[in-house]
Amino acid sequence: MRVAFCTDLEKSVLVSNFEKRGWIQVGPDEDWNFYWAGTITCRNIFSVDSGYRMNDFQAINHFPNHYELTRKDLLIKNIKRYRKELEREGSPLAERSETGRYLHLDFVPITFILPADYNMFVEEYRKSPLSTWIMKPCGKSQGAGIFLINRLSKLKKWSRESKTPFNPAIAKESYVISRYIDNPLLIGGKKFDLRLYVLVTSFRPLKAYLFKLGFCRFCTVKYDAAVQELDNMFAHLTNVSVQRHGGEYNSMHGGKLSVQNLRLYLESTRGKSVTERLFANISWLIVHSLRAVASVMASDRHCFECYGYDIIIDSKLKPWLIEVNASPSLTSTTVSDRILKYKLISNILSIVLPPDGMPDVRWNKTPSAEALGNFELLLDEDLAAQDDAGPSSSSSHGSARYGRPSNRQIIRKSGWQVAVRVVSTRKRGNLVLRCVTPEATRTSDVSRYCSSFFVLWQRKS
Amino acid sequence: MDDLKDKSIHLTAQMISEEIRQMPMYRGFYNEVQKLVSSSCVSNSNFRPSLLNAMRQTGLEVELRNTVFHWLRAHPGPQGRSSSAAVIGSKEPILFLKKAQAQWEKRIQKSLTSMCTELNQVLSKCRAGSDKDEMTEKWTELSTYDIDLSQYRPVYAPKDFLDVLLWIRSPNHRSLDGEGSWDFSQIPLKVKTLSELKSLFQEIARGEPLLGVNPNMPAQNNLYQNLEAERIALGEKVIAGNHAPVAQEFLKRGCPKCLRGKIWAQVLGSQVKEEHVQHFEELKLFVLQYDMIVDKLLIKDVQLTASNDDQYFVFEDVLYQIMLCFSRDTEVLKIFNNSSSTPVTGLLKGKNPSFENSIVFPPSGVIPFHGFSMYATPFCYMYDEPINLYFTFRAFYMRYCFRLHEVSSHEQGILSLCLLFERMLQRHEPTLWTHFKQINIQPVKVVFKWLMRGFSGHLPPDQLLDLWDVVLGYDSLEIFPILAVAILSFRKENILDVDTLQNIEAVLADLSSLSVVALLQLSLMKDSI
Repeated sequence: MRVAFCTDLEKSVLVSNFEKRGWIQVGPDEDWNFYWAGTITCRNIFSVDSGYRMNDFQAINHFPNHYELTRKDLLIKNIKRYRKELEREGSPLAERSETGRYLHLDFVPITFILPADYNMFVEEYRKSPLSTWIMKPCGKSQGAGIFLINRLSKLKKWSRESKTPFNPAIAKESYVISRYIDNPLLIGGKKFDLRLYVLVTSFRPLKAYLFKLGFCRFCTVKYDAAVQELDNMFAHLTNVSVQRHGGEYNSMHGGKLSVQNLRLYLESTRGKSVTERLFANISWLIVHSLRAVASVMASDRHCFECYGYDIIIDSKLKPWLIEVNASPSLTSTTVSDRILKYKLISNILSIVLPPDGMPDVRWNKTPSAEALGNFELLLDEDLAAQDDAGPSSSSSHGSARYGRPSNRQIIRKSGWQVAVRVVSTRKRGNLVLRCVTPEATRTSDVSRYCSSFFVLWQRKS
Repeated sequence: MDDLKDKSIHLTAQMISEEIRQMPMYRGFYNEVQKLVSSSCVSNSNFRPSLLNAMRQTGLEVELRNTVFHWLRAHPGPQGRSSSAAVIGSKEPILFLKKAQAQWEKRIQKSLTSMCTELNQVLSKCRAGSDKDEMTEKWTELSTYDIDLSQYRPVYAPKDFLDVLLWIRSPNHRSLDGEGSWDFSQIPLKVKTLSELKSLFQEIARGEPLLGVNPNMPAQNNLYQNLEAERIALGEKVIAGNHAPVAQEFLKRGCPKCLRGKIWAQVLGSQVKEEHVQHFEELKLFVLQYDMIVDKLLIKDVQLTASNDDQYFVFEDVLYQIMLCFSRDTEVLKIFNNSSSTPVTGLLKGKNPSFENSIVFPPSGVIPFHGFSMYATPFCYMYDEPINLYFTFRAFYMRYCFRLHEVSSHEQGILSLCLLFERMLQRHEPTLWTHFKQINIQPVKVVFKWLMRGFSGHLPPDQLLDLWDVVLGYDSLEIFPILAVAILSFRKENILDVDTLQNIEAVLADLSSLSVVALLQLSLMKDSI
């Protein structure tokens, strides 16, 4: 049986991928198996009013309430709640420093929601006056409505001008205000952010994959933290949609540098261990942002979603999560961009679909190592749980194969081989940080996974 | 016989010690030795052994050894050159090649002169005050230095140079019905055979584990997690030892990314010292002082190449600094001691044409061509500081790249590399060779830009640096034609499917998926016929 697909977006990277698989296109009112929908369509399909009931052989590319993760204000709310919950449980993950900062979960810049948290913001602001903050409207994207402020008076002026007095009852649009990362890592004197693609096929249990071919988006103008330059958005915002309007925009490369090249540069100029730590911290950040929303997300089995993560790295090589997009752009700005996005879609399809290619909610959503393509597994709680159940199943011959048996065991599991390493350097109190990754066909993949992914904390009894 | 050898060693030693006294490092070195002599580690009664011992312990001995190593590399003895060259005392022993190079230089000079006339420019003049101020202010962001370059064109492109090479005719060759116009086979240069190449690139050909093939393969020593960890540990020892020949040897099996900057600087003797800082500062002053036509050509070249390249655009600003300083660097003139070319000269204003009144232009003697800045781009990934980048790039250029844009019979010269490429393709890929012959496309046309740029801009930077590790490790550019053949043979099926130059170029346009070192190993491990 051929898969019938439907799409709201007539992007060539999508349609060419579908057609390559021999799928046939149908309208949204016909019987479809696979829908690449806009977020609104998706919400409508799931709304009670629509009366639409999906059957077992359908898949759709959004979770109905993805905004828990992708709206700037809700993301912050969820992360704050997640930290508090962990703290209540006494989880060591929520450990704080003497100054009250979270040691392991401090991956978003301090953020408040305006107008609701105005007083809290003022309190924080007074702790370090003259610091720079960035205002973003919660509901907008692509850099619209964003500005920087470094004085309270400017914020007050803005509130008068925008005629939305700080009265939560009347205010239509809410904003988030975040501490601006004013010491970003610069390459060639220019600021950039990372765009990484993360695929989630289930929130409960959490199953997430990271696309290895992300890229850095560079500003066209040299970065200057000086106050008088605060209004030059071309030096501050990395969004392609913003940069495109700058006179310096180059359509041959679109200001995009691949993550592999970033890695090469950092390893060569800063060293291997700090670079590896940076990328491990990025994975850490992604996993915990997802765990923060996992409990509130409607984890419908028909759904999967590919998120665009925007991350800024500061000059100390610490990654900061800026925001998450539910519909990362599939428009290709350059040739290599097109190749990348084509691969992205192709790899997504092979992960979210069962081996026979037809969507099926009864499938356990455990793709084979080959199906991952350019994705790597960040976390699969199913596999992690299996692993917890039987660490004794570690096979000795596996560990011998990869050397250093003392801190690594290979566990074979139904269809999966899971490489597990106890990372002793991350030991804290009675806790051991373990890393769970799929074992790939090559040794290379295993040790790479092992060195970069710490995804499961386990209490040692 | 032994006597003679002793004597020649003695003479060489004498010559080197005289040379060293002329070097910029000498003063600092001498001061250090004097300090050492007056210290308590050197005793009067036991002067010589105690001094030598102290020099060994302070690392002065290693510094001296490295200096000798670099000097010897830069001054090939009679065995390095063909004997006839030594006899004639000329830089290029083969007359018709010498002529071809001279003609080519004349053409370059002519087109430079006509560009000056056309654009109403002089080769060099003092920079106007306002211009100087602007440039000083924008030194670290020269991409915003706004000058109109729309009228400027590169002096020549690789294609023009290839045409020159293809027109070279050996006077001893009698053409049989058009034969000899299609390839370089009529040029009587000796190039290595596959088995000779195998013995040169021994470690690769023997199938030893190479870092570039797979950094995660098991280490030879069980102590290490994988090959990369083992190489890093070893490389750190090499760096601590600071011994140039050892560092060179280390590169043969591939260099970990995190150590490459240091290792390369050791091999090339380009570690930045105080005198380098001063020198670089001077070069910058010269750039600000004089307004030269090469400045525009260089800026234009960066704009045309690196600025549009998704691997290198972020380094645009630093590249301008590097290229401009390079053009002012008279140290680069040393390449003309062992190159077949001579620099272009310009006449001082208002003076009679005579030898005394002409000066080398530009000060470095190197006229940039389209893509010249690609020789420097890979170094941007290795060094954060422009000064480190500059000196390693300069050393690499002066050892290797200059041979890629001159006509010479040198075995590392572009002509020999082209010939080597053709011989290998013909001998080891006869199907492809015949295919090219049938569709009447000279195979060298397809790969020439790779060879001339040393693959820079054609391979992803990590792969390119792996390739240049091999160049430095074996001190040879012959790896370029080997790779060119390996790529053609890897894409053989697709090439055989098409029959126009355009389509072949399309097949070979994207090399981003290749694993360079693996391909090299594959082709060098092939059984020789």
